[in-house]
Amino acid sequence: MKLKKEFVTHQNDNEHVTVATGNAGFTGMLLSNETAGFIIEHLKTETTEEKIVDDMFAEYEAPREVIAEDVHKIIEKLRSVGAIEE
Amino acid sequence: MAFYIKTSGLVFRIEPNYGKIEGYCAGYICPPAETAIDVSVTPEEIEAEREGAISAAAAEGRSTQFSPAQLEILTVHRKISEQMPDHGIFLFHGSAVAVDGQAYVFTARSGTGKSTHTALWRRKFGERAVMINDDKPFIKIEDGRPYVCGSPWNGKHRLGSDIIVPLKSVCLICRGDTNTISKISSSEAFPVLYEQTYRPSDPDKLAKTLSLLHTMSAQAGLYRLHCNMDPQAADVSYEAMKEGK
Repeated sequence: MKLKKEFVTHQNDNEHVTVATGNAGFTGMLLSNETAGFIIEHLKTETTEEKIVDDMFAEYEAPREVIAEDVHKIIEKLRSVGAIEE
Repeated sequence: MAFYIKTSGLVFRIEPNYGKIEGYCAGYICPPAETAIDVSVTPEEIEAEREGAISAAAAEGRSTQFSPAQLEILTVHRKISEQMPDHGIFLFHGSAVAVDGQAYVFTARSGTGKSTHTALWRRKFGERAVMINDDKPFIKIEDGRPYVCGSPWNGKHRLGSDIIVPLKSVCLICRGDTNTISKISSSEAFPVLYEQTYRPSDPDKLAKTLSLLHTMSAQAGLYRLHCNMDPQAADVSYEAMKEGK
């Protein structure tokens, strides 16, 4: 899976911002904290949910099942706005 | 017959299908320049503009009848706005007025009272207040500083000037019974500012737009104003916003 190319990110001072081009159908803005931003950035190249969990587990000190739950939640959110190319 | 216009410091060579647009751009016509950016539109692109034009006009309570010549004016604007982020410029929806050489931009959804509020500023300041653009100014970032630019596309009352003015403050307008203003943070303002920013269809240009908008919100004073239509509303907004950042 991958973030669709119409979805664009930007790092503001403390927030990770995701928006979509005028023709993508999503006119809102997703504001993410550091870890959600980490997940979205990883989706810029072809990956899997499992692989993102592995990468986060290597980076952050948290139980793997907590990380897996977070990753799943973020991906579902992205899916709901049409941002994921399966 | 092609003609040239200058806005935001850039020259565009426009190749129209209809005569109406040249008259619309009066005041911005300039001599031919080698550096001009070409803008031409096809009849298909003009027709594709119709749906968006109708919904925007309906939101503002204006006539939803558009001739192809009117749609061409909107299509050319869109094409220019699409290219602007490559030149450090983006299109912003708001009413922009200059006082003492500083630009103040009021933004809100259509119908909230942006133009009504800048009309109060003109009443307050007389000739000291110069309209830059009553509806869709271009914001130019140069050396990390934001500037507000006039353009022919300046709203239904055709209020604006061919000038480029340093941006002092941006204000989000809400209707209120009384007039109150407060400073807001860049992170609070950013999603609202983005709503009123033109979103290019090209991802790379959209990314540039976000970065330019970020610079604008970091550099300008940012405010939220609740206001009515009394002249006192202009006193309240000016007293706060002249302080800027």
